[in-house]
Amino acid sequence: MEELGRIHQLLIPFMGYTITINLEPVMMTWIVICVLLIFGFLTIRKRGMLPGPFQVIGEFIVSALYQLTEDAMDEELAKKYSPLICALFMFLVFSNWISLIPHMEEPTKDLNTPLSLGLMGFVLSHYEGIKAKGIKAYIQSYFEPMFFMMPLNLIGELAKVVSISFRLFGNIMGGSIIIMVISYLSYSLILPPFLNLFFGIFVGTIQAFVFTMLTIVYISVQVK
Amino acid sequence: MEFATHTWIQAAAYSSAGIAIGFGAIGAAIGEGHTASCATLAVARNPGKAGEILKTMLVGQAIAESSSIFALVIAMLLLFSNFSAESYLTVATVFSAGLCMGLGAIGSGIGSGFSAGAACTGIARQPAYSSRVMTNMLIGSAVCQTPAIFSLVTSFILLFTNFSARPVSPTWAALLGAGLSTGLAAIGPGLGGGYVAEASCEGGARNPLTTPSVINVMLLGQAVTQTTAIYGFLVSCILMFKSFPATDSIAVPILLLSSGLCMGFGAIGPGIGVGVSGQGAVRWIARNPNAAADITRTMLIGMATAQSTGIYALVVALVMIFVM
Repeated sequence: MEELGRIHQLLIPFMGYTITINLEPVMMTWIVICVLLIFGFLTIRKRGMLPGPFQVIGEFIVSALYQLTEDAMDEELAKKYSPLICALFMFLVFSNWISLIPHMEEPTKDLNTPLSLGLMGFVLSHYEGIKAKGIKAYIQSYFEPMFFMMPLNLIGELAKVVSISFRLFGNIMGGSIIIMVISYLSYSLILPPFLNLFFGIFVGTIQAFVFTMLTIVYISVQVK
Repeated sequence: MEFATHTWIQAAAYSSAGIAIGFGAIGAAIGEGHTASCATLAVARNPGKAGEILKTMLVGQAIAESSSIFALVIAMLLLFSNFSAESYLTVATVFSAGLCMGLGAIGSGIGSGFSAGAACTGIARQPAYSSRVMTNMLIGSAVCQTPAIFSLVTSFILLFTNFSARPVSPTWAALLGAGLSTGLAAIGPGLGGGYVAEASCEGGARNPLTTPSVINVMLLGQAVTQTTAIYGFLVSCILMFKSFPATDSIAVPILLLSSGLCMGFGAIGPGIGVGVSGQGAVRWIARNPNAAADITRTMLIGMATAQSTGIYALVVALVMIFVM
């Protein structure tokens, strides 16, 4: 049980500062990216009217996520953002599933990954918001309904980043802690595969979907 | 009378085990009773499907019970583990773990029971689509358990992390506050998530063709409902992992304890309120799927407003921890 909350870090001294790199998430992120690249390559290798198995899966994911994006935004924005949304969803799904393979750990278990993805959505949504409403109306929206509500509106916006990233982080990290503790208590008998099924596949997929949906919604709420 | 540290820890562990399973038994029992009541209604309406309704009821009750089982696991751990007697802090961690899991199991148990009940009546209404209704219920009820899972994680961290290097004086209150924050904050969101899942099971049975979009909005609604539980979990994480300097004054420990209390209580209302608004949205999308985009937008804006009180609690809790 000593490994609860322990992480492997690479410390690089650089001009008086220390650069800290969490090794596991970085390595696992690269593995996920490689898997996604191979998957993408396989889907486009033999394109045709009679699709192969990979093309069917790829077309299904792309069209489902495009539809989801278009339901929330208008067509022009949906065309612009659906590739990003699709990539985000697939990255998160593969990241959350990777712990099914022994000795692999989810990159989303480290707060840095969800937080950076959440910040990406935050920056994009505000960029689109400023572009759609104009800078004046955008700033004015913080002073509604009363001017003194400004700090609270600001904190409300920042709380969105906290909630979106901690939701993913908490679920995935919580799942892995529960799997670890219960495996330890039950001497790794019987229970761990079912726990992996629930926390890895089920919760992992749902949380990836929720993160993607919330990113879409944050962008669309800013634009409208 | 003077007792050894070990005695205090044992006493705390026993009383905390009682609290964990005592509070933890409340929610699941209410939820399961509600499910059974809906199942009797469903059987009265459609006696031909009694077998299937009974099966759905039992599955739904099993999911609702899982939050209570989490509490049972923690209670058993507290009763039968040997805790290190290095520091008095173990008294606080042990007590806090039991409180956290006990309180955290209440909301999710009741909430999952609502969605299972709606699934039973839905199957009586629309037997041809029973498998869809069942899937809908499984997803909704499982997501409902998230706040209870946060409580379980916080309890595990409290029980299995070694805090003995920290100074006793403010840390005992921080650890107690951490348990209270996640535990109390799980009540509202668990209940609210159940409201959303209930509307989704009911709506999916009423209008089976809308099931995919209803499930999407349900997941979105439940995710926003759980935001305040996440704030509670965030405050607990800060309280558990930030090291506070030793102090003799009683004011600092009380400040840390009340920051946990503040976030915990502040999260109850927004969780329920946001859940009610999600319930409305999912219910009316099932009846009028063409207005789904507008309903979802209205729901999200309403939720953001309903959630603002939870954000006030978060701000006050963070000010208490970092500024004071």
